[in-house]
Formats: sequence, C-alpha cells, structure tokens
Amino acid sequence: MHLSQIVPPQFRLHRPRYSAISRMHFGNRQLAQVVSLIVVAIVMIPIAFVIIRALGAGQEGIDYLLKARNLRIVGNSLALMLVATICASVIGIPYAWLTSRSDLPWRRAWLVLGLLAMVIPSYLTAVTFTEAFGPKGMLQDLLEPLGVERLPNIKGFFGATLTLTVVTFPYILLPARAALLHSDRSLEEAGQSLGLDRWQVFRRVTLPQLRPALTAGMLMTALYCLSDFGAVAVMRFNAFTRAIFVQTESFRMDKASALALVLIGLTLILLLIHSHIQHRGRHYRIGTGASRELQTMSLGVWRFPALLFCFCVVFVSVAVPLLVLLSWLIGRTISNPVQVPISLLLQNTVPVSAAAALVVTMAALPLALLAMRKESRTNRWLVNLAYTGNVLPGIVIALALVFFASQNMLSLYQTLPLLIVGYAIRYLPFGISATQSAFEQINPRYEEAARSLGLSAREALIRITVPLARGGILAGSALVFLNVMKELPTTLILRPIGFRTFATHIWSAYDEAFLSSIALPGFALIVVSAFALAIILRREDTAH
Amino acid sequence: MPVKRFTLLVTLICLAHGAWALPAAAQGNDTLTIYSGRNESLIGPLLDQFVEETGIEVEVLYGGTSAVANQILTEGENSPADVFIAQDGGALGALAAAGMLSALPEEVLNLVVDSAFVSPDGVWAGLSGRARVLVYSPEGLDDTGLELPDSILDLSGEEWRGIVGWAPTNASFVSNVTAMRVLLGDSETAAWLAAMIANDVQSYPKNTPIVQAVIDGEIVAGLVNHYYLFRFLAEDPEITATLHFFPDGDPGSLINVAGAAILNSSDQPELALQFVEYMLSDSAQAYFAAKTYEYPLVATVEPSVDLPSLEEIESPEINLSDLDDLQETLEMIEDSGALD
Amino acid sequence: MELSLYTENLTKLYNGDTPAVEDVSLQLQSGEFLTILGPSGGGKTTTLRLLAGFERPSSGLIQIGDAIVADDSRFTPPEKRRVGMVFQDYALFPHLNVAQNIAFGLSGHSKDSRMQVQRMLSLVGLTPFADRMPHELSGGQQQRVALARALAPNPDILLLDEPFSNLDTGLRAQVRSDVRNILLETETSAVFVTHDQNEALSLSDEIAVIFEGKLLQVATPHIIYNRPINSQVAHFIGEANFLPGEAQGLTAASPIGTVKLFHPKRGPVQLMIRPEALRVNFAQEGLAASVLWREFYGHYQRLGLTLEDGTELVAHTGVDRFFQRGDKTWVSLALPALAFD
Repeated sequence: MHLSQIVPPQFRLHRPRYSAISRMHFGNRQLAQVVSLIVVAIVMIPIAFVIIRALGAGQEGIDYLLKARNLRIVGNSLALMLVATICASVIGIPYAWLTSRSDLPWRRAWLVLGLLAMVIPSYLTAVTFTEAFGPKGMLQDLLEPLGVERLPNIKGFFGATLTLTVVTFPYILLPARAALLHSDRSLEEAGQSLGLDRWQVFRRVTLPQLRPALTAGMLMTALYCLSDFGAVAVMRFNAFTRAIFVQTESFRMDKASALALVLIGLTLILLLIHSHIQHRGRHYRIGTGASRELQTMSLGVWRFPALLFCFCVVFVSVAVPLLVLLSWLIGRTISNPVQVPISLLLQNTVPVSAAAALVVTMAALPLALLAMRKESRTNRWLVNLAYTGNVLPGIVIALALVFFASQNMLSLYQTLPLLIVGYAIRYLPFGISATQSAFEQINPRYEEAARSLGLSAREALIRITVPLARGGILAGSALVFLNVMKELPTTLILRPIGFRTFATHIWSAYDEAFLSSIALPGFALIVVSAFALAIILRREDTAH
Repeated sequence: MPVKRFTLLVTLICLAHGAWALPAAAQGNDTLTIYSGRNESLIGPLLDQFVEETGIEVEVLYGGTSAVANQILTEGENSPADVFIAQDGGALGALAAAGMLSALPEEVLNLVVDSAFVSPDGVWAGLSGRARVLVYSPEGLDDTGLELPDSILDLSGEEWRGIVGWAPTNASFVSNVTAMRVLLGDSETAAWLAAMIANDVQSYPKNTPIVQAVIDGEIVAGLVNHYYLFRFLAEDPEITATLHFFPDGDPGSLINVAGAAILNSSDQPELALQFVEYMLSDSAQAYFAAKTYEYPLVATVEPSVDLPSLEEIESPEINLSDLDDLQETLEMIEDSGALD
Repeated sequence: MELSLYTENLTKLYNGDTPAVEDVSLQLQSGEFLTILGPSGGGKTTTLRLLAGFERPSSGLIQIGDAIVADDSRFTPPEKRRVGMVFQDYALFPHLNVAQNIAFGLSGHSKDSRMQVQRMLSLVGLTPFADRMPHELSGGQQQRVALARALAPNPDILLLDEPFSNLDTGLRAQVRSDVRNILLETETSAVFVTHDQNEALSLSDEIAVIFEGKLLQVATPHIIYNRPINSQVAHFIGEANFLPGEAQGLTAASPIGTVKLFHPKRGPVQLMIRPEALRVNFAQEGLAASVLWREFYGHYQRLGLTLEDGTELVAHTGVDRFFQRGDKTWVSLALPALAFD
C-alpha cells in the first residue's frame, strides 16, 4: 500500500489494519517456527562472532572502550545521526507535501528525481561531493571570478552530515508522502471549520497525523546514519563504523568487536525509544484510508520558491553526483589498466542481487508469518533477533562468515551462495517488514473464507494470501535488490575469487584514483537501481 | 503466478551463470590461489604475464592489504590462499607474527639487492621498493616564499600551517610513523604528530588525492610514496609538481617494500615458490620499474623513471622487520586525534 | 430429528484466564436456523469462530453432523469441517471474479463444478454478473455472492457473522428475506450471529442469547420475547417496563396495583411488563395517567405515561385515538406480568 511494506516493523508507519489475534491459523505454525529458527540461527552467526571476539578482549577491551577517544566516537555518531536525521526531515517533509498535496508543476517528475538520491551509493555521493565542494573543487571554480580563492574544507562533520542528509531524505519522503496521501482530509476540514488558517491546520492537524510515519522514517534514517560506512569513511568523520574499520585495518578484531557491541547497544536503545514513541502515538488513525478524493492545495505565489526548493534539493542530491561522474567520464584522468566491460559487471551484479532479494524474500516469509502471531513471546524474540543482522557493519558480518565457513564449511567458502547468505543477513529485516506489512494489509477473513471452503492453511497461504500480498512483497524485494547492488564491504570479502560487481569495481578504481573508470559503472549502477525504484513506485501508485 | 515466474527466472539466470560453480571444488591441481593486497590495476597485468609464461593458472582475490591479511588471519589453517602479496611490510609482519608464513629458501632471499628488504627470519621477500617523499608544488613554494625542509619534523613549523597533506590511515604512512618511533622514540614522534595536527595538517584517505591536491593547488606539499606522481606525469607531462627526498637519513625518507610470502597452509608450495621467484625475475622487476614506477629490488634492473638510485637516497638505517609493531603506532596516531 | 450441530460446555479463554466464551451448550436441528444474539463484545462472534474452527476451544466439545470436530483431544481444522461461512465484510477475494469466487471451494474445473456455479448464480439471482469483479458490485450483490460461495460446496452447516450489518436499512429487510428463502430452498442449517434483536426475532427458528460469554437462554423467538428467563434477557430483547413488586403466589403488589403473574413467586421481585401488555383506555378503567410524550409509528403509537405516584411507563397502543402531550387517560394490564428475582 505504501512504504510501510518496505519498512521494518519497528519502523512501521501504520497500525496494522487487522489485529493479530484473528490470525490464529495463518500458515503452518510448526513449519514456520522451524524454518524461522534456522534463519535466525544463521543471522546470529555475526553477533555470536562479535561477542566471542569482544570477550577475548576482556578487561583490556573495557578499558579501551572507556578511553576518552572512544567515548568521543559515541558522541560523534550520535551527533551525526541526530543532525542528519533532522536535516533529512526538514527537507523530506516539505518535499513530500509539495509532491503529494500541492499543485506544484511536474509533481511526479520531482518525486522520481528526489527518490533517485536513494539509489546513489553513499560512498559515491561523498566522493563526488568532495570533488564538487572541496576547497579547490568545482564550486570554487565557479566562484573564482567572485574572488573566492578556496572554500572551507567540507570533510569531517559537515561533509558527513551533508552526504547522509541527501542520501537519506528519500527515507523520510516516501513514508511522509504515503501518510499524506492516506491522511484523513475530513480532519483538516474540521480544523478549517474551527477557524484555523492553512499553516495552523498543517501544524496542528496534518503533522500530528503524520507522526507515526515520520517517527518510522526518522528511525530508519537514524539507523542508516549509524550503520553507514561510505560517507563517514570518505568524509573522514570518526563515527562508529569508521572506528571499527580502522581497528580491523590494524588486525584488532577484539577491539573492533567491542566497538561493534556498543553500536549494537546503541541501536537497541534507539529501537526501544522508537517503540515507546510508537506505542504512545497509537491513537492516530493513519492508514485507514481516506474515503474522499484528496484535494491539492494551490500554492499561489509560493509556487516559485517551492520550485526553487525542489530544484535545489534535486540539484545537490542527484545532479551534482551525476555531473561529477560525467566530468570524470569525459575529463582527462589516468586511465585504468584493468578494463572491465560494463556488460560483465551487469551480468554479475544483477543476478546475484536478484538472487539475494529472492532468498531474503523466501527467508522472510516464515518470520513474517510468525510476526503476525503476537501471542507468543518466543515468536516475538525470534523476529526481533532476525532484525539484529543489519546493524552490524558489513565487514564484521563478512569476517564472521569467513570465520564460520572457513572452519566449518570450506566447500561453501568463497562461493556465491555464501555471499548471498551475507547479503541476506544484512537485508533480511527489509524482507520481513515488507512481507509482514503486506500481509497485515490483507483482510484475515480472506484466508478464513478459504479455509472454510476446504483449503488447508498452506493452500490458503499460497492461493490467497501470497497473491494478494504480491505487490508489497515485490516492493520489498526491489528494495533489497537496490541495496545489495551497491553493497561493498561484504561483497569485497565474501565474493568468489575473481567475481566483480559494480560496487567492487568502483571501489577498486577509486582506490587507485582511476576516476573515469568509476564513472561508467557508477552510471550503470544508478540506471539499474532506477528500475528497481520504478517497481517500488509502481506499487505505491497502484495501491491508490 | 508472477511470483513463481520471477522465481523461475532468477533460478534460470543463476543456473546459466558460470560463477555459481563452487570454486574451491573446481580448483585444479595446477591452480595457485593468490590473495593480493595490491590493487588489480597495479599487479593484474603482471599476474597475466606470469600465467602466460609459466602456464600456471592463478586465482586472485583482491582487497585492501589489511582486509586481506585479516581475512587470512580469520581463515587460519583453512585458508585457501597459497601466496599473500602485501602493499607493505606491516601486514606481512602481522601474518609472520601469527606464525602463518613459511620460510623462503636462501637463494630466493639472496636475489633481493639488500637484506634490509627481506624479513630477517626469511618468511617474506620484498618485491618492489617505494620511498617516502614530500611531493610539492614549486609554484606554491614560490608563492609562500618557503624553502624545502631538511626534515619531516620541520613540517610542524608555523610557516607550513594548513598547507601540508597526509593520509593518516594509509599503511605506508603508518609504517613511516613506526619508523619514526624506532628512530626518534615514542615521545618525540607523538609530539610531532600533535604538532602537525595543531598546525592544521590536511588529512586525505590515501596518497593519490594528496598528489591531486598538490597539483590542484589545494595544498603546497604532501607526504606520499614516490611513485604516485609519475602516474600523473604519464598522463600529463606538463605537471610541475616535484619530489623532495629528505636528506641525511631523515625518517621522512624511509624506503619500504611491497612484498610476498608463502602461507604455511598452502597446498601448492612448489607453485607458490615458483611464483615468488618469478616476481623477482628480471622481467617482473622490469614491470614494476616501468609500470608502477617503483624501485626494482634486484641488482640487474634499473628504475625506469628519473629517480635517484636506491643508494643515492639518504634513507634512515632501519630494519623493516621492526616496522611490524603496527598496533602501537596506530594507537598513537589515533590518540593524537589525527583520525577525528 | 437429526442434529446438525451440538456443542457441550464450550469455553474459550484468552490470555490464559479471561473467558470470552464460557460453558456454551447449543444444539441445532437439521434444516433449522439458530441465531446467536447478544451485545457487541459479548462472545457471540468468538462462538461462531469456534464453530468454524478459526479458534481452538479451551475446553468443551463441538459436533457438526455426525463428527466431533473439537474436544479435549481432537481438533479438526476449518477446511475439514464442511462448514460454510459468510463474513460480516463478505471477504470476497478481490483478485477473483464472481464466478471464480463461487467456484473457489469446489474441487477442480470439472463440468460438475461449472454447473454448480451456474446453479448458485441463478439461486442468488446474479447470473448476468458472473464475470464482474467484487468491487464492481453493490453491497447487496456482494452479500449474495458471499452466500453463494459459502453454499456452493454444500456445507453441512452455514455460519453467518452479522451478515446484514453492512447494508443500508432499506436494503436490509429485502436481503434478509432473500437469504431466508435461499436457506429454506437449499434446506441448509444455519447459525447466524447478530446484535439486532429484530433480525433475530424475525429470522430464527431458535435464538441463543449470549451475554458476557455466557449463554443465558436458548428458545424460540416467541418464548424468548414473551418468557425471557431473567431480566438481562428481557432487557436485551424488545422493550419492557420494569417495576418493583412483592409477589404472593400468582399475584404481586406493585405501583400499578395488584398484577397477575405468569409464574408463582414469593417475596420482592422485579416485574416486567411489555409496552403492548398495557391497555390505554378511553374510559375510566385502571389507573389514571397523563401522557408525557408520544411517538407515532403509523401502525401504532408509543406513549410515555406518568402515573399519579410518579411511576413512568411506556405503552404501545393503536392509532384509533390521537394522543397529545398532557392528555389524561387510564391504563390497565391486559396480560400477566413476568416476575424476576
């Protein structure tokens, strides 16, 4: 129906439309539990690895964590997370409103252009930003006639915040837009009839209705900021992921693990805060569907500032990276002796990403079924555990699987199946939430009707529930696909020898500064991702 | 049902795709598995040359030097790797310390021109040399009226404020700082790091962007490995940026090596040895000289570009095997605040 | 006569201890129509879901036809119970058209199943709509498709959950009698849940009144209305005046004088008098009363009366005399009153 299908349940935008209690017979419970147990056991491998390694550090690890520098890392990460999330919201909310409820010209085009920011990998955005906005970058070139000799260095907190803001604002835009499209227009009319002006109506009626969607989107953005490596690495901002990376670089897995444990702790606190807020905000009735045609509001003279706003957002978040890539493509830079045809990268990246999306979707199915049964504490724990996978940095997940596979399943080591397992651990939550939300949108009576007409639980699942949830599940798969395509750290370590993807090729070229060979795969990656985005968007629109 | 169709499609694509075979199982007897911490663009063509000349098949895993070393450490006894190629001595030292490398025969170690470029216990050999230098822009020097410094320590002076670049996480830089600790002691090194940061030294993720920044005029000078500039010069001979070798055995002109080692766990030790020998052959050494602009480490091959010879560089007297104390150095760099 | 449904001490506990349904014992003769009536949240839908197999009973026994489908050791899943279900919101599969919905419970694509779909379509009068999608139908048509879909596999028993509550008032009476006729025609036993007493009274062979999970009374509509077993049932079914009284055998002293009782009682009681049991007299007969308010319903009038001692009563009377507020009149009791403890 909307982004709720591709947002983890903790981030869920809308109260499930149908209660869990009425789903006693949803699918085959024993089978779902057994399969879920297996999936969760696999997901727990990296966590177990981190705990074992961190315990190995012992007292030294604790002393290390308590060093002032490491406490500063916590502060850095939190500051980055907070500021980037607020900035993303400040951009995302008006952008959502303009593209859903106003008479802004070319609304659809603005929406698509804005969302494109999501498909550009954060490391690529960061690299192109340093090129464009660096002290002697392209912006300075333009400003040279005005007497600007050099710009302040954007690296550090500012650069990391800017990068994360532009790559995460679509995660606010999508849910906010969905909620705006579904919000109850009659409430706004009630507000107007009580004498509120437009702004007051937005602030006092519309915005509170958006709250569940916004807290969900903001949580997602916050988690993205905590777990992102590309932006902080390129911008050299000492946040958790970068600190963990530096530790692994110096062969100190124990200290890296100790840091990772703190990161997991922070994430859990964030999830707790969110579920608390979500619980409190329960009385909002978002997602029950507006029975009335939504009216667009005329912008009047505000149309021009609004257009300028959208233009600026799209220019910085999408046009600047693409323009920099273009300039590298046509500019004279050192040519890479390793020439890899785009078709080969395409041939490697797309099937493996599609397979990962498929595996995630399949693995998510039983967990989503369990998540629908709220009656059991065990089930709840299983589902929550399945979520822990994506908070760990990719390199930690990858090394954990290296450890596991090289000791126990050597025949699986350095094969695509293991790489896909790594991807699946990272992106399983996307699949669970998409499937779960898609199921929750379905009237449970459909399945009961099927049961009373003689179908078994499994048949009813296959003939009724899955076909009806197809769109939402597909949108979730598309999001997994999108993320796997640009995934770097896991790919680098777990890939079969000689296997190249867009991400590894871009990394390798960037590593030796072969800028022109970043550009072409960069473009190709963005084009393919845009197709996945189109699936998500089509799903959004057919739902209305 | 479209979901089914989608599944089928993906399955078909996967089956049609060659990479789905299990490489470990498919590995033939004559296949050498190389883990390379050097970038494919640097070493890939040379490996192709090796395959062509010897007929030995290779499989190469590329990654960052530290990441690859981590991977081998994590794999332990079951590592599929036969050979490890590292960008610097530090990572080789870490594997040596873990007892994962096997000794190289005397005659191979003797090929290397200077015993400083092999490990003292003979478990790894240097393949090519790189000198730490100061890359600078003569125009920038003129504009600021600065003179070339005699020591890396001078860069913390007020006159260099905000116009020097370094790459604090780069392995070569870390080795250089380790060398400073060995030569000058920990407290003086830490003081220098702190003074550099106080002097607003500009941080970069790696060497190339430092050279680029010098060329672009973003900074006046930067601490890098010598060969990066020649890559820029090959593309654009007009570039005026120049190298400065610190004189008098200054720690700033350390010569470090990229090296190779054979793993204990290798199931192809003969092929692995053949590989290391090949890397020290004249043709491979000539490749390093011509393509990567590094110093060849055998007596019979000369550098390809306009460089002072290894003997001419007044590099510090240091045993490269002392540079495996990476952790202490990293901690010191971290504590200095260089990574914040 | 053959029993088509039998339950014994059916109990469903939620969260371990809160009973949603407690000790419900029901039976339904073949071909009859049983209504479960009760206020919202009273456990009637849970009862229906227990019968359908969507919920597992905490204890008790359910027998459908000859088969025990649930007891302490057995639990037959819904698909094996041969139970048809019509849902409150119909639950027509949105991705299937009318004919496909009706054919859903039939096995295969045989000629038999096609003929059965045709039979069902004509039974519910929707033959021209076979290819429509559910959202293209009106509420009443959807209702009939839901009925046809549930009846198509010839279930032993049909369960209907508030089937008319989503229909407009005007349409409701029509659909109600249509459904009644179709069930009579197909000789289907049915259990149907409602909170609407008029629906229950008009449609059922038997009514089971469930209140807070407990079964209060099972009887024919006539008995439920005229002889409710206690004041809760009386309150819930139809309108009634309740007066305090002192029973002495078959009579009781009350604010409206001595009244006759249906059943002998002794001691303080609560007297229930239906509005239509009060006769509003033209001449001076019975107690003097004045008209507080009046509502006109065409075929009868509803009067609010106050007696001289302040007792207020509601009475139904014919339309031959037109009352106005403040009119003086007299009331007397035409039928014996019911007395409850």
